[in-house]
Amino acid sequence: MDLVLQLLVNGVINGSHYALLGIGFGIIFGPTRITHFAYGPIFAVGAYGCWASVAWLGLPVPAAALAGVLAAAGVGALSYLWLYRPFERRGSSHLVVLIASLGLFITLENLIGIVFGTDTKVVPGLSPDIFLWGPVVVTSIQLWQVAALAGIALALFAFLRRSRHGKALMAMTDNGEMAQIIGIDTVRVSLTAFAVGSAVAAVPAILILLKEGATPHMGFIAVFMAFVAVIVGGIGSFRGAIIGGYAVGIVENIGMWKLPTEWQSTIAFVVLFLILLFKPSGLFGRRVR
Amino acid sequence: MLEATGVAAGYGRKRIVHGVDLAVGKGEIVLVLGHNGAGKTTLMRTLFGLLPAAEGTIRYEGRDIAGRRPAENVADGIAFIPQGHGIFRTLSVRDNLDLGAFVEPDKSLLPERLDTVFRMFPILKERASQIGGTLSGGQQQMLAIGMALMHAPRLVILDEPSIGLAPNLVDKVMEAIAYINRTMGTTILMVEQNVKYSLPIASRVAVLKTGRKIYDGPPDPLHDRVELMKLF
Repeated sequence: MDLVLQLLVNGVINGSHYALLGIGFGIIFGPTRITHFAYGPIFAVGAYGCWASVAWLGLPVPAAALAGVLAAAGVGALSYLWLYRPFERRGSSHLVVLIASLGLFITLENLIGIVFGTDTKVVPGLSPDIFLWGPVVVTSIQLWQVAALAGIALALFAFLRRSRHGKALMAMTDNGEMAQIIGIDTVRVSLTAFAVGSAVAAVPAILILLKEGATPHMGFIAVFMAFVAVIVGGIGSFRGAIIGGYAVGIVENIGMWKLPTEWQSTIAFVVLFLILLFKPSGLFGRRVR
Repeated sequence: MLEATGVAAGYGRKRIVHGVDLAVGKGEIVLVLGHNGAGKTTLMRTLFGLLPAAEGTIRYEGRDIAGRRPAENVADGIAFIPQGHGIFRTLSVRDNLDLGAFVEPDKSLLPERLDTVFRMFPILKERASQIGGTLSGGQQQMLAIGMALMHAPRLVILDEPSIGLAPNLVDKVMEAIAYINRTMGTTILMVEQNVKYSLPIASRVAVLKTGRKIYDGPPDPLHDRVELMKLF
């Protein structure tokens, strides 16, 4: 029973991580409909931006984390302006944009490897606190993962409901052409979506850096899990991405109760397949017209 | 108010509209008729800036607007109500109406405009918190018109507002359009297939056939079924 409780707690922690990844990915995919695979290495840019600020510039971790977030937001915004926007202007098909995104994925991942090396980077002198709650063990960084989701979700909810940019983003997620028709500058909204979504992705990336270190390939599993969270929760639904993330995190960890750990990623795949088969619009999805 | 000269447009290499001239005077209701595929929608989308004009000039209130983005046209007092669902289907009626005024810099004007829309379509007030996509077809069309009114346009371009509506609703929608024109002085440019209901409110009619204009004049001769059949 103790094991199940620990797995459940781990599920909630991993679920928070996946939910954050899903929210960031969803904020970009919702309005732009761009399958932004390069979200993976931009996630890694957040972690490396933080690491470099600590190791090379000697900044304290909170300031370095902010630098990482800004670095990811900047690279995300540039990826839209320099790569996706020219394709959009030309009216290229989704497939062309998808291939361009994969190209950017490989380029950015290799660039990170060239600049920082391929070994695992850890933040020196960091020892997270460990808490024992009855039979359950958690670390301070794991608690940060849960808190980060709560904080960012609330902030984004306020942004989407209250701010002009947020409302424009919601409108464009619903119907891009109608957004244009009522006078929304859709290029500016796309740029905002890329900057905000990438900034959101940097937060779980930095927490992974602090937890287990960063590698140039860390973005692959991140974009994959983000994709799963969004599909399971339902495209275009903010709440869906959170619930999708938690569903995958909890199912994956509870699965560890009876299955060896190497099956963990496979469980996420199985959940994805089942949702695509039986509820293609996702748990909270709106049918995409 | 709006003057298009020699406008040609299409999708990719496929030309659909070939050198059409169309003038809309201030305060008029200009009706554009034509069979399926005549290029009516393409022409409207081009005039509004959703599609680039391959040839020709488009002037609005004397200014050249060809090549302007829709956002600029909306800010300049033009509204476009597209065919089918001219609303945000996942957002509430109230959110839709608020978004209709997205480009309005003076937000203090909005309560009064909202009142006007609610007076014209009381059902929208009743359903203010309902999700747009769950409204009936007629109510969605009313919402689409309401959204356009929220930024007080001087010219409204409508693409087949009667499509998919029951006859009694078509009558209501046409009545609303005539009312907006009469009481607010809004100029209307409207594409329709439903001749029976749209012709009575029109001040002038243009007929398109395979991307070319074949009639431009008063609506009266077209009340004669034989004359109309000749054009189609």
